[in-house]
Amino acid sequence: MDIVDSSGVPASGEYLTFTLGKEEYGIDILKVQEIRGYEAVTRIANSPAFIKGVINLRGVIVPIVDLRIKFNLGEPSYDQFTVVIILNIGKRVMGIVVDGVSDVIQLNSDSLHPAPEFGSILDTRYLLGLGTVEERMIIMVDIEQLMTSQEMALVETAAA
Amino acid sequence: MSIDMSQFYQVFFEEASEHLANMENLLLNLDVANPSLEDLNAIFRAAHSIKGGSGTFGFTDMTEVTHVLEGLLDRLRKEELALRPDMVDAFLAAGDVLRGQLEHHQGGPEVDNADIRDISARLTQLAVGEAGGGARLETAPLKGSDTVRHLRLACLFPPDVAASDEAVNNLLAALAELAAVDTRHRPDAANGLLEANLTTSRSDAELKDALAFYLTPEDIALSPAAQPEESAYGFFDDAVTAPADDSYGFFTDAEPTPSGQADAAYGFFDQESAAAPAAAEDADGTFGLFDDAPGKPEALPNRDVTPGDSPAAIEGQGYGIYVDAPGGLGLFDNAPGATHLLKQPAVPEPQGTPATASSPTSAGRRLSDNPSVAIAKTGRRDTDKTVVATGADTSIRVSVEKVDQLINLVGELVITQAMLAETAGSLDPIQAEKLLAGIDLLSRNTRDLQESVMSIRMLPMSMVFSRFPRVVRDLAGKLNKQVEMKTIGENTELDKGLIEKITDPLTHLVRNSLDHGIEIPEKRVAAGKNPKGTLTLKASHQGGAVVIEVMDDGGGLNRARILEKARERGLGVSDAMSDHEVWQLIFAPGFSTADVVTDVSGRGVGMDVVKRNIEGLGGKVELESSPGFGTRTVIRLPLTLAILDGMSVGVGGETFIVPITTVVESLQPNLDDIRTLAGDSRMMHIRGEYLPFIALSEVFGLPGVEDITQGLVVVVEGEEGKAALFVDELLGQHQVVIKSLEANYRKVPGMSGATIMGDGRVALILDVAAVIRIGLANAKRRAAA
Repeated sequence: MDIVDSSGVPASGEYLTFTLGKEEYGIDILKVQEIRGYEAVTRIANSPAFIKGVINLRGVIVPIVDLRIKFNLGEPSYDQFTVVIILNIGKRVMGIVVDGVSDVIQLNSDSLHPAPEFGSILDTRYLLGLGTVEERMIIMVDIEQLMTSQEMALVETAAA
Repeated sequence: MSIDMSQFYQVFFEEASEHLANMENLLLNLDVANPSLEDLNAIFRAAHSIKGGSGTFGFTDMTEVTHVLEGLLDRLRKEELALRPDMVDAFLAAGDVLRGQLEHHQGGPEVDNADIRDISARLTQLAVGEAGGGARLETAPLKGSDTVRHLRLACLFPPDVAASDEAVNNLLAALAELAAVDTRHRPDAANGLLEANLTTSRSDAELKDALAFYLTPEDIALSPAAQPEESAYGFFDDAVTAPADDSYGFFTDAEPTPSGQADAAYGFFDQESAAAPAAAEDADGTFGLFDDAPGKPEALPNRDVTPGDSPAAIEGQGYGIYVDAPGGLGLFDNAPGATHLLKQPAVPEPQGTPATASSPTSAGRRLSDNPSVAIAKTGRRDTDKTVVATGADTSIRVSVEKVDQLINLVGELVITQAMLAETAGSLDPIQAEKLLAGIDLLSRNTRDLQESVMSIRMLPMSMVFSRFPRVVRDLAGKLNKQVEMKTIGENTELDKGLIEKITDPLTHLVRNSLDHGIEIPEKRVAAGKNPKGTLTLKASHQGGAVVIEVMDDGGGLNRARILEKARERGLGVSDAMSDHEVWQLIFAPGFSTADVVTDVSGRGVGMDVVKRNIEGLGGKVELESSPGFGTRTVIRLPLTLAILDGMSVGVGGETFIVPITTVVESLQPNLDDIRTLAGDSRMMHIRGEYLPFIALSEVFGLPGVEDITQGLVVVVEGEEGKAALFVDELLGQHQVVIKSLEANYRKVPGMSGATIMGDGRVALILDVAAVIRIGLANAKRRAAA
C-alpha cells in the first residue's frame, strides 16, 4: 500500500517533529508557517476546551488549538517553553500548542509504517503512519486532514 | 512570438464594463431632439474601444455586435441620420447584450443567440432605414465604387500608440474596412511610421476619419499613388510629400529613449542596411524608415537643412551616440548601414551627403536644432494623447486586496504606535522630552496616514446612483408612468464594501417607489399634481454616518390598507398604533399590499430583505409617509465597514467591544430596579420600560462580577428591541478596526468580529442582536428547567 497524504503525493519529504507529553509527532514541514512562544490568548465563549482562543498574529486573528487537550495528553501547562506552531493550511492560518518542537527529519514513504487501528482518540484517518528514526517512533499526522476535520470545529462545517 | 493574452483579459473586462457603463450613461443623458456631437462621438468611441478590445482578445461575438452598433453610431455622428428615441432604446438593448456577452466571457451564463440576432437586425434596420436601402453599414469597401483610387498613406503615430500591437491592429482593421490596404511599414515601438498603399473608392476625409482616433487629420498625409504596383521609386517620391515634420518627429521622438531602446533601434538599423540592396524592388515594411531618409534631401532644402542631415540623424538616434561621434568621418565609420545606403541607386544625391555630413558646423547645428524640434513635437503629441486617454493619467487601477493589505498594515502601525505611546507614558517627561515630542508627532502622522488610507476605499455614491436612471427609465416605460429622477449628493463617499451591498436594497426601494408610490399620470393630474412624478435619491453625511434617502412624490402609504392586510395575515395590530409603528409593518416578512403580483413587485419579498440587509451593514431604515404627498425612506449607514466606533467593556477579565450605534445609555444599576420574572429571568426597570437583564458573563460563561451593584449596565438596542447588558466595567471608547474571525476560524455565536486593542491583544466585537437572542434563550431554558 502506498501511503499518500491528502494531496495525493507520496509522503516523503521533510517533517517537523514535536512532542506532546511523552509522544513524538511529525507534520509536513511545508504546512508550517512559523514557530513562536505561547502568549496570552483571547478566549472564545462556548467553544470546545481545546480551542484556547485567538491571538493577534501581526494583524491577523489566528485561532489557537491545544493539541495536548485535544489528544488528552496530561495536564497542559503554559510556561516560557510552551510552543505554538503556526500552520498554513489551505488559505487559513491556525496555531497548535505543543510541549516542544524537537527536530526536522527526512522521511520517505519506505520508512513509514501504516498505523494499526488503535481505537484511540486520534483517528487513523488523520495519520499518515508511523515513522522510525533512530529507534524513536514518530506518529506522522496528516495535519491538514486533522485541522480541517469536523471534530476540530475550526472551520465552518460543510453546510456553510 | 506568442503572448498569453489571457493575462490581460481581466483588464479588458474591467475596461469594457467601464465603457459600457459610460456608454449607457451618455445614452441616458442624451437629448434626443438635439444630440450633442460630442456625446455621440463619446458613445461611438466607447463602442469602438469595446470592439477593438474584444477583437484583440478574440471575443468575436462582442466584436460583431459592436460593429453593427458602431455602424449606426457612425452615421449618427456624421449627421447622416437623425437620432430617434427608438435608436436610443436599441443602443441600450445592445449595451445589455454586450454586457451579457461580457459576463459570459467571465464565466456567466451564455447570451441567447436570438437576442444577439435580434439586436443586430434592429440596429441594421435603423441604420439602413433612412439610407434608402443603400446599406453602407456593413462594410463592403470596394462595392459600388464609382472611382477607385490608389493612394499613398503616410502618417506618424505617437510612440505609445505605435508600441501597442492592439492599437495598430485596430487601426489597420479600421482602414481595411474602407480600403484595400497594402501595408508598407507597420508602426512599431521603434518607428511609429505607418506607410501603406490604399486602394479605395472612399474620400480622403473618410480615410482620415478611420485614423482620427490617434491623429489629427493634418498629421495624415494622403497622396495619390500612380500605380499600386509601382514600388520603390514611386514610393520615395511619395514619401517626400509626407510632411517633413513627421519624419523629424520620428527621429527626435526616439532620441530620449534609454539605451535599451537604442539597442532596438540599432537592430532595426542593421536590418535596414541588409534590406537596402533589395529595396528598389521590394520596399517592405521595415524599409519605411529609410525611405524617408533618402527621400529627405528633396524635401529638406526648403527647410534650409543640408541633405546630409538625414542619414546623420538616423545614425545619431540609431546608435544613440550622436554626441560622441567626433566628426563626419567617425560618424560614417560607425554607420556601415548609412554608407551602404548612400550607394543605393534609390538615393537621389549620394555625393552631396558625405561632404556636408563631414562638416562639424552642420553636425553642431543639427544637435542644437534637434532638441527644440523634439520638445515641440513631443509636446504636441502629449496633448494629443491626453485627449484620447482622459482620466487614465489621474487614476490607477489597484486591486482591493492590495488596498486592504495596506489598510491592515496601517492598522498594525496604529497599534504599534499606541503601544509605544503607552510605554512612553511612564517616562520622565523632562528627561525624555524629545522622545515624547517625537511620539506625539508619530501619533499625529499615523492618524493622518490611517485616514488617508481608509479614504482609498471610499467611493462616491454616484457609483450606485448612476445605475438608477436606467432602472427608472425602463420601469416607468413598463408601468406607463412618467417619472423624473433626481439625484442629490452623488459625491458623498462611502466605503466600497458598503457601496456594493447597498445597491440591491436601494434598487428595491426605487422599484417600490415607482410601482406603488408614484401614480399613473391621469391619477396625478386628478389629484392636482404634475403628471410627471419625481423620484429623488439623496445622499449626505450626518455625523459619522451616511444617510441615503429615497423620496417619491406619489400617493404615500395607505395606513388603513396596511392595517387591513396585517390583520389578514394575523399580525397583532390595533387602530391606535402610531404611524411609525404601522409603517414598520411593511418590513414584516412576506408583507405586501399589492393585489396583483407583477414582475415589478408585489410578491411581498422585499422590504424585510431590505431591512435585514441594511441592518446587516450596521445601518437602519426608517420610513416616513404622508398620504397624497409621497414617501421617504431613510437609510442610515456607518461610513465604513472596516472601522467601528465601539465601547469597550470588561467582563471576567476579557474585553468586548459593543458597537456604539447600538448603545442607548450606560448606567450604574440600582438593586431595586432589577425584578425577577417567573423565578429566574430578570428584568430591569429603566425610565418606565422593563428590559430583559442579560449578564454577559453568563452568556459567555465567564467568571464575571456577581454583585449587581458592583457592575454596570449598558442599555443596547438591537433588531428585536432593547436590553440591559450587565458588564463588570466600562473601559473606554475607541475606534476599532474590524477583523474577520471567519478568515481563519469560524463564526462565533454572539460575535460579529474581532479587533486588536492598543496592547496588541484581541478583543471580540459583540453582535448585540445575537447576544440578546442568546441571553433570552438562556433565560427561557432556565425557566423551563
